[in-house]
Amino acid sequence: MTPRTPSESDRKPAIEFRHVHYTLSNRELLNDVSFSVARGETLVLLGRSGAGKTTALKMINRLLVPTSGEVLVEGKLTTEWDPIALRRKIGYVIQDIGLFPHYTVTQNISLIPRLERWPADRVLERVKEMLETVGLHGKTFEHRYPHQLSGGQRQRVGVARALAADPDILLMDEPFGALDPMTRGEMQNEFKALERHLGKTVVIVTHDVGEALVLGTRIGLMEAGKLACLYSPHDFVHATDPMAAAYMAQLRVYDEAKGEK
Amino acid sequence: MSPIQFFLRHHQEILQATLEHIWLVGLTMFFAIAIGVPLGILVTRKPWLSKPILGGANIAETIPSLALFGFLLPVPWLGGRADRLAIAALTLYALLPIIRNTSAGITGVDRAVREAARGMGMTDRQILFQVELPLSFSTMLAGIRIATVLTIGIATIAAAVGAGGLGEFIFRGLAMVNDQLILAGAIPAALLALGADFVLGVLERRLRPVR
Amino acid sequence: MTLTRAASAFLLLWLTAFLMSCGSEHNTIVVGSKNFSEQALLGEILAQHIEARTHLPVTRRFYLAGSYICQQALLAGRIDTYVEYTGTALTAILHDPIEKDPSAVFGRVKSEYQQRFRLDVLPSLGFNNTFAIVIRGEDARRLNLKSMSDAASHAPQWRAGFGYEFMERPDGYEGLARIYGLRFAEPPRILDLGLLYRALLENQVDLVAGNSTDGLLSARDLVILADDKHYFPPYEAVPIVRRETETRHPEVRAAIAELGGKISDEEMRKMNFAVDGQHRDAADVAREFLHAKGLD
Repeated sequence: MTPRTPSESDRKPAIEFRHVHYTLSNRELLNDVSFSVARGETLVLLGRSGAGKTTALKMINRLLVPTSGEVLVEGKLTTEWDPIALRRKIGYVIQDIGLFPHYTVTQNISLIPRLERWPADRVLERVKEMLETVGLHGKTFEHRYPHQLSGGQRQRVGVARALAADPDILLMDEPFGALDPMTRGEMQNEFKALERHLGKTVVIVTHDVGEALVLGTRIGLMEAGKLACLYSPHDFVHATDPMAAAYMAQLRVYDEAKGEK
Repeated sequence: MSPIQFFLRHHQEILQATLEHIWLVGLTMFFAIAIGVPLGILVTRKPWLSKPILGGANIAETIPSLALFGFLLPVPWLGGRADRLAIAALTLYALLPIIRNTSAGITGVDRAVREAARGMGMTDRQILFQVELPLSFSTMLAGIRIATVLTIGIATIAAAVGAGGLGEFIFRGLAMVNDQLILAGAIPAALLALGADFVLGVLERRLRPVR
Repeated sequence: MTLTRAASAFLLLWLTAFLMSCGSEHNTIVVGSKNFSEQALLGEILAQHIEARTHLPVTRRFYLAGSYICQQALLAGRIDTYVEYTGTALTAILHDPIEKDPSAVFGRVKSEYQQRFRLDVLPSLGFNNTFAIVIRGEDARRLNLKSMSDAASHAPQWRAGFGYEFMERPDGYEGLARIYGLRFAEPPRILDLGLLYRALLENQVDLVAGNSTDGLLSARDLVILADDKHYFPPYEAVPIVRRETETRHPEVRAAIAELGGKISDEEMRKMNFAVDGQHRDAADVAREFLHAKGLD
């Protein structure tokens, strides 16, 4: 895949949230959330459990619909999109990955291309390409089943599956959360390199501030259903905002414990 | 005459009765699967239906089989032919395990798998046929196995209302106080049940998805 | 093993079993009977005579538990023939109201069986197994009683014994008492069917309701009171045969028809006694009967 060159349409935001509220069973999970994600940027939604980050993420591929307010993808309201068409244009990676246990790696990765009726040879070619991209080299993986893979390998297949149909937008919900810290670190770095190469619009949900700093072009801090602040990584590190500062303090404690700094 | 000699002497009749029995059971399972699997799927799509559907099947299961046969006797189209009547009653009995296992199998599919499927843009129908059903096939088959063995057993009672099958030997043997006749019905029925349980069990294990 | 391979193997198994069960044995004649000794005797007589005359193999499927079961077996082709009683056929199978005239009952049964079930009802074997009101021989002779009307006036001095079913049936005790104006000293005792005659012979009761072909009636000093007002419906023994069987094997119908009118009430009683009272084998008794009638 060649990196995309910017064009006229790139100036329109890929994703927009306008005063989005979401209430479920009398609990307000999202409270007046507004932001936009430019084409090609990586927005990380950072916050603790229950902050509303996953809820916001699911608004983008219309797994959830706002109670009030608007979510636009590529300039069109999610409620106007055909949900199936919308989701097929968006890559989706979740924490538990959700690989189909009864499908081989090849069958898992080629799911959307096959549903979109790509010709068989193009599908096979694409699967090979994807395996290379996520670092699963060689023929050994093609016919394996998920239960025969390690956690890290499964995660890579999950990413490959999300990217197979070459979507413009990629959504990732705590993608590396289920991995051990060593593997997690490796995956973050690899993904960072991949990201730059792919040039896609990415929204990542995480509670790991280190991950946010590594992967994001912007970091959105969420707390109790509100978007508290939006910073670039550099600004985040030096932010005076109490919440951002608290996160950075956590990171320093961690670093000190590791014996660095 | 020893039981073995009896079996050899009357093998033709015993085979005939066994085939009658298989026919009753086979037709019953066909209807029970055709009705039960869609109902099981429906229950997962509309959870509010779970109480009436499973509840209804449960009631049918609770009624003693002979009583159910008796209830259906006066029903116009059913009561006229004993095999129709038997198959109707037997189908009602076979429904509960099939509905229950179908719905349990589908709801038992890993949430992450279902969420990933939905998030990637599979339609509900695609999810049902390409993800949920294949992954619950083993559980569904367990329900079918239970229902089949149940039906083979209850079908012996169907002879009491004239549907034939292996039960007829048993009832005749009881009336004539003839042990060999009873065994001529009971042993093949037991073998049928064991055989079905074994074959379907093997199938079930082969189809179990590895996690 | 892949899913599709497993599913198709499974289907194939069922299909084979299905197809096997659809085919049937075309040459064997299956004779059925209900579950009491008179029926087993009649079944044997039919079976042996068909064997002798047609040389076709005959399978016996006796002791089927009642008229409904036998009817279902006929309809499903599991049996080719059995002997039914006209009154039972009329009420229990056809659900028509009972009539008293024997030829009307027979005609009705024959035409409706043909029309509704495609079953052929052959002429009576010669006896009528209806209800019989029975008293001790000595009483009959002493009081010169031959019919129910004769006996009605003595009812107040008698105790009656009936089976549970006879008491419950609308065409049982209730109607009988009404038609003949019977008034017993006490309400009738309800006895087990097997004990009725013994109770009568041991003077515990003076009048019982049995069946006119009961074996004991020919072996003991017992008298049947004539049903002069024709209260009891006719229960003539008629063979019923599947039309399909007759079409495939017309000689079977001919053989069974030959038995028409050959068994009298008394002859049936004697055979019943041989099996019930003397515990002889029904097949042997049937064989002797056929031989004696020159039908073998």
